[in-house]
Amino acid sequence: MAQAAVHSFKTETLQREEAMPWLAPAAVLGGDNAPAWIAALRETGAASFAATGLPTPAWEGWQYTNLRPLTPEAFTFDAAGDVAAQDLPAPLLKDSHRIVLVNGRLRPDLGTPLPDGVKLTPLMEISEPEEELATVGSLAQSPLLALNCAYMRDGFVLDIAPHRDIARPIEILFMSAGNSPAVYPRVLYRFGENSGATLLERHAGEGMALTNLYAGIVLKAAARGRYYRFIDENGDAVHVSRTVARSHKSSDFQGFSSVSGVAAGRQEFGLELLDSGISSSIGGVYMLKGRQSHDFTILADHFEKDGTSVQHFKGVIDDQARAVFQGKIHVHRPAQKTDGYQSHHALLLSDQAEASAKPELEIYADDVKCSHGATAGMLDTDALFYLQSRGIPAAEAKALLVHSFLSETLEKITRDDVRALYAARIAAWLNAPVEEAAA
Amino acid sequence: MLKIENLHATVADREVLKGLTLDIKPGEVHAIMGPNGSGKSTLSYVLAGRDGYDITEGSINFMGQDIGEMEPEERAALGLFLAFQYPVEIPGVTTTTFLKTALNAVRKARGEKELDPASFLKLQKQKLTELGMDADMLKRGVNVGFSGGEKKRNEVLQLAMLQPKLAILDETDSGLDIDALKVVADGVNALRAPDRSFLIITHYQRLLDYIKPDVVHVLAKGKIQKTGGPELALELEQKGYADFYDEAA
Repeated sequence: MAQAAVHSFKTETLQREEAMPWLAPAAVLGGDNAPAWIAALRETGAASFAATGLPTPAWEGWQYTNLRPLTPEAFTFDAAGDVAAQDLPAPLLKDSHRIVLVNGRLRPDLGTPLPDGVKLTPLMEISEPEEELATVGSLAQSPLLALNCAYMRDGFVLDIAPHRDIARPIEILFMSAGNSPAVYPRVLYRFGENSGATLLERHAGEGMALTNLYAGIVLKAAARGRYYRFIDENGDAVHVSRTVARSHKSSDFQGFSSVSGVAAGRQEFGLELLDSGISSSIGGVYMLKGRQSHDFTILADHFEKDGTSVQHFKGVIDDQARAVFQGKIHVHRPAQKTDGYQSHHALLLSDQAEASAKPELEIYADDVKCSHGATAGMLDTDALFYLQSRGIPAAEAKALLVHSFLSETLEKITRDDVRALYAARIAAWLNAPVEEAAA
Repeated sequence: MLKIENLHATVADREVLKGLTLDIKPGEVHAIMGPNGSGKSTLSYVLAGRDGYDITEGSINFMGQDIGEMEPEERAALGLFLAFQYPVEIPGVTTTTFLKTALNAVRKARGEKELDPASFLKLQKQKLTELGMDADMLKRGVNVGFSGGEKKRNEVLQLAMLQPKLAILDETDSGLDIDALKVVADGVNALRAPDRSFLIITHYQRLLDYIKPDVVHVLAKGKIQKTGGPELALELEQKGYADFYDEAA
């Protein structure tokens, strides 16, 4: 016992020492006159992170993704980002509205006006936050969220007014620029009662960058939220994010994400079905090569009856890349008549590619339908030979098979133009190899 | 057109073809008949260039070139076509996409211009009509949910679209009822031409009632044991392959 206590003490000391360099740049924030609630969250976050440091593979949920090789010295908090309008990528869709952030900071000069019924409020201008903004859950379990809190400054609340349908999509572009920025944005997308909107959240930029995003999504009763994420960063970027969609009665949430351009990434999605009659779905595709690694970690939490949740992911892994999928469906006792569906399928294109999957079901109600399926496999050699025997060169035949494998995940996306955006990313990955990702 | 000399081939280190020699001239229809395990399907895969089927001795000359080391797609570009005994299902790739990709790949390899979408669709429609096939199947995943007969018809459609110099039909009759067999045979007969040859691999004589061969070979123990005219097929139908098993014993 005494031995164990000493060991534990040493471990904690070590963690404190490792945590401090991550927190040091936050000193920049001193004296910025942040509203009291933000100052308080920063303190709570910093204290929590100091006690844990980054998660190690010994942590529950972190067995397969190791962030420890990340060094804080490699990134600059509050990096200047000199970005002009002509440096921005073209809008994802014609006729969309646009909100632009550079290194986490809002840049109204680069965005477009927002339509009636949509309101954007910078975080630092909010003095009395609603509960859903100031509540973050248990930080001790979530060091990355704690770190995000410690740096709380950049971000906004986007409100869709009740009973409004916003016809044109709203693109939210997170650009990283300049000297290896570290950004910790916090955003809240709030769909008012019986409102509807399509959000395109896109992350892009050149060179090294660290993004640690917390995105809250609230769907009030009968709201219809579409949330499409595009991780278009380059092979040196690190992207970690947690997105929690809190759904209220009879609302409908559909989310999707594609990722191909990061050195390392982890996207956590929480689907919270807080009331009855809710539909909530999240899907994604990943395309990894070189030494890239990426992790999708999903929790669908059914609290009340008649809810449907869907998790549908596919990915392709080449070279020495690594992919992780952890998906859980948690059905609480009152959540009768729950429909929970989860699937993850990985295609391995090389002998050294790696896929780890951990499907979990935790069910306390007795009248539910839950299913999960997980596979990892190589390309079908019979199909490959069949295509080649018809004159299709091997490389083209492989691309055709991978494309059809991944495209299946897009079928549920209701907008044709958004589906085409994802299809284009799949096609681009198959035709043009990305630069070798940094180790 | 096709000249196989003293071909020895192994599958998983087991020698299956043991000195096969065959000569097919332009416009000829040859049938290879043989008992199960004689090496019929191995021959078709070796000709098409499937991975894992290794030539250890002898040569395959097709259109004046030694194709033994060529990739499957290079052989297809030269004009070789294998109609599969068990056509593969490819979910997510529609038959139209498949046909267009294949046709344009072959045209490109032959130095011809790729077909624009309109010309392709016109050609596809024409072939479909000639074969009496349902346009519905074009929108479905390649062979996904197709019946045995539909799969074989799809093979003939591909054959008609790609217009190869040599078509190898590997047990194309297996699993077909008589009506489907006639459709497939009509499709093949329509493609017979002075510069196009066929190699029909079959266990039974039935298909040869509908596609008249010029030459019939008996394959057993990895070698051609006997060669003759169409009457040889009938003889085999009556007497079976017992003679060749005896020889093998």
